Amino acid sequence: MAAIVKKILAASLEPMQVDVVEENQNVEEEQHYVVENATIDLDHYASQYVGLARLNRLLFIAEHCNSLKIEALRMALNYTMKTTFNTSLYQIIHHKLVQATSGVRTGSNSSSNNLPDLAPVNSIDTQWVEVTSKKAALKLEKLDTDLKNYKSNSIKESIRRGHDDLGDHYLDCGDLSNALKCYSRARDYCTSPKHVVNMCLNVIKVSVYLQNWSHVQSYVNKAEATPDTSDSSKDANQTISSRLKCAAGLADLATRKYKSAAKYFLQVNFDLCEFPELLSPSNIATYGALCALATFDRKELQVNVISSSSFKQFLELEPQLRDIMSKFYESKYASCLTLLDELKDNLLLDMYVAPHVNTLYTQIRNRALCQYFSPYLSADMRKMAEAFNTTVGALEDELMQLILDGQIKARIDSHNKILYAKDADQRSTTFEKALIVGKEYQRRTKALILRSAVIKCQIHVRHLRVSESPKRRPTRRGNVHSTSQRQLYG
Amino acid sequence: MASSLEHYVNMVQTMSSTGNFTQLCDFINKSSDTLAKNASHLDNVYATLDIQQASLGVLGILCVKFSLSNMPDLETTLIQTTEFLAKCNGEHVRYATDNYAELCHKFAQAIIDRKMYARGIAPLVQAIQKIQIHPAQLTSIHSSLCQLCLLSKNLKPALVFLDIDITDISREGGRFDAKDYLLYYYYGGMIYLALKNYERALYCFEIVITTPSVAVSHIMMEAYKKFTLVSLILHGKIISLPKYTPQVLQRYIKPLCQAYMDLAAVYLQNNLADLRMTVTKHTDIFNRDNNMGLVKQCMTSLIKKNIQRLTKTFLTLSLADMANRVQLVSPKEAEKYVLHMIEDREIFATINQKDGMVRFHDNPENFNSPNMLLELDKEMQRCIQLDEKLRDMDRDIAINPQYVQKSSGSHDDDLPGTSGKIQAY
Repeated sequence: MAAIVKKILAASLEPMQVDVVEENQNVEEEQHYVVENATIDLDHYASQYVGLARLNRLLFIAEHCNSLKIEALRMALNYTMKTTFNTSLYQIIHHKLVQATSGVRTGSNSSSNNLPDLAPVNSIDTQWVEVTSKKAALKLEKLDTDLKNYKSNSIKESIRRGHDDLGDHYLDCGDLSNALKCYSRARDYCTSPKHVVNMCLNVIKVSVYLQNWSHVQSYVNKAEATPDTSDSSKDANQTISSRLKCAAGLADLATRKYKSAAKYFLQVNFDLCEFPELLSPSNIATYGALCALATFDRKELQVNVISSSSFKQFLELEPQLRDIMSKFYESKYASCLTLLDELKDNLLLDMYVAPHVNTLYTQIRNRALCQYFSPYLSADMRKMAEAFNTTVGALEDELMQLILDGQIKARIDSHNKILYAKDADQRSTTFEKALIVGKEYQRRTKALILRSAVIKCQIHVRHLRVSESPKRRPTRRGNVHSTSQRQLYG
Repeated sequence: MASSLEHYVNMVQTMSSTGNFTQLCDFINKSSDTLAKNASHLDNVYATLDIQQASLGVLGILCVKFSLSNMPDLETTLIQTTEFLAKCNGEHVRYATDNYAELCHKFAQAIIDRKMYARGIAPLVQAIQKIQIHPAQLTSIHSSLCQLCLLSKNLKPALVFLDIDITDISREGGRFDAKDYLLYYYYGGMIYLALKNYERALYCFEIVITTPSVAVSHIMMEAYKKFTLVSLILHGKIISLPKYTPQVLQRYIKPLCQAYMDLAAVYLQNNLADLRMTVTKHTDIFNRDNNMGLVKQCMTSLIKKNIQRLTKTFLTLSLADMANRVQLVSPKEAEKYVLHMIEDREIFATINQKDGMVRFHDNPENFNSPNMLLELDKEMQRCIQLDEKLRDMDRDIAINPQYVQKSSGSHDDDLPGTSGKIQAY
């Protein structure tokens, strides 16, 4: 079986043509995009993660990259069978795989025959499904009775472990909400800070899978607030804190707090970073570097990223990013942006950073534009356009947006294509502001004085009293709202 | 028959001369039925009574005359009322503000029914000035006056009153209604709109929609529609309303003005083509609400706003480029807009006709000319005056016995006047 899969993998590694047929799939899906030229070595990529993290990532790639779709699905299928009890996920992946391969085959028949012959997908392994479900049920029963025993004996430590084991098992079966429940229940039986931290880590892990970011954040805080254990070694402590930083960074990234995400990622210790259930070290490098580029100013970049000895090790894992970082710092924006564009496809296949790639890229570009202009009083837009790989017209539009947002204080001489820094006259602006504030004060105060008179007279719009005849006063002007207090809602 | 009228005349004359006005008012209110029965002789009674000496008696007669279902001779009544409003004794009629206001409203209504709007304006102006204790007091007659001014398209007379900021409201014996208040500010807003005083118009509409409210009023809804449009014209967005804005507005009125909300949302995108599309989509609604003119002004204001945005980002720009960016048809149209805006001092720029370039300048105002300093001083004075007014009001409350009693916590007799005042601060 394994041999067959390997063969299939090898076959499908060759480049494939993408056919129109496939693009029709998932049209309804929101934010759907297809990446054409991904350069990911899936074997290596997948081996960085374990458990659900690996499966989720592979499935994400399958969703968004046609050339890697089948390979990724096969790997996911294989991994599910080998390591988990998750039969429902197995069936889903299998279904997708069947769809994908048939799609390619019909496509290849209609267009060209230069595609590698694809081995047919094995039919669904019902035997495995049955055996596994049975096994899972047995294990669940055993763990449940164990836990009951522990509870009747009320040994705290055993109960805690029982809950944890049960949680692990649920996780294996893919039942995330039950896993989360079990892990959280263990909380009442924690006797030492170490256990508390352990419980927090478990909850964080499941919450990340569930993409419940506020939960992640609060448990990170809880774990960090737990006092350090004196007996455990310093290394273990640091490992835990690194893991927490990773999780916190991820949560901030997902909730678009890029700057604090960058700060968290930068604090991760390279030597002690083992968190295959969540992130690989190269992920940390990518996320950290991108967020830092998008949000840090030049000085922060220099102090916290480029000259940071620990983050340097991370950057070595992603040499492209390292180059981008130094190019950005050296103000070689053209090559920096080109490199970033090359990286974009791969980033779009990363499930956590993909939704933010465009935002981050725009922010990086805007930052570059601002930084480019910052030392000048006037800048030739033709030269500037050259430095940013763009045309003068496009640059003009970009600059216009930045000026309107107040990010660049400058004005454009469209005739001579020169950008002039604007020197604001503080005195005049202060006068203008003072006048506006004064007018606003008058307006508000007058309205309030009037309002106090209104309240004093007890004037308010209310439903017509029944005793009052609606024709108490004749209508004044036919076309304008004859009865003011007509009730519209019962 | 005649004896009861004689009795009326006698009572009125004796009580007026002895200054027993409160009782007189009671008597007049009670005798309205008797008067109504003798409708044919009322003109004689009117002639007998002296308007100055027995204002209240005359007021009673006129009220009865207007309340008759089929008025025999409306023209005479109108002339009599005009005469009365011009000559009556303010001191006297202040004892019957409710009847006085009633008379004015009926007078106005009769005039509106006969479409002789202009002739009602002068009497009502006099009427208001007579009954007011001070010029900053609001009466229910104000709204009738504004309505007449709007209908006769003669807006100046109302401005005399509208330009004064109201600090006090005449209760008119509990007759003063939220409707009069809402209508006054709604009409006021419309008058300012007609005179293109957007700032003040917006203020008026804001007053209407922030009136305490527990039910949906059509006046408020129409005011909210206009408020939205004027706010867009003036500020380019819907300005935020104060905290005391009633819940009703958010919950019931906004959903009823969906077309206007759509318009505002599109306006914020600064895209003229989209705005035009939205306007076309909702043309029927805007036409039906009689707001099409304002909507058109909104579109013009978007063009101007976009041009103003350009002045922030550009030093020079060709007319063709500007037309392109603002989505105008031709450089010629752009030139027209820029020219008007320069004339109105909305932007500061020069057009170079030779190469079709517009050069934008900064605001030439340096805040160092004597005129500007005078202006600043005036503004400061206004703020100081307002501040003093607030201080006065605060002191009034502080020395109000009811307030003192309440705040010291000895009693909890909930007197509406006092508690209202406390809420206001």
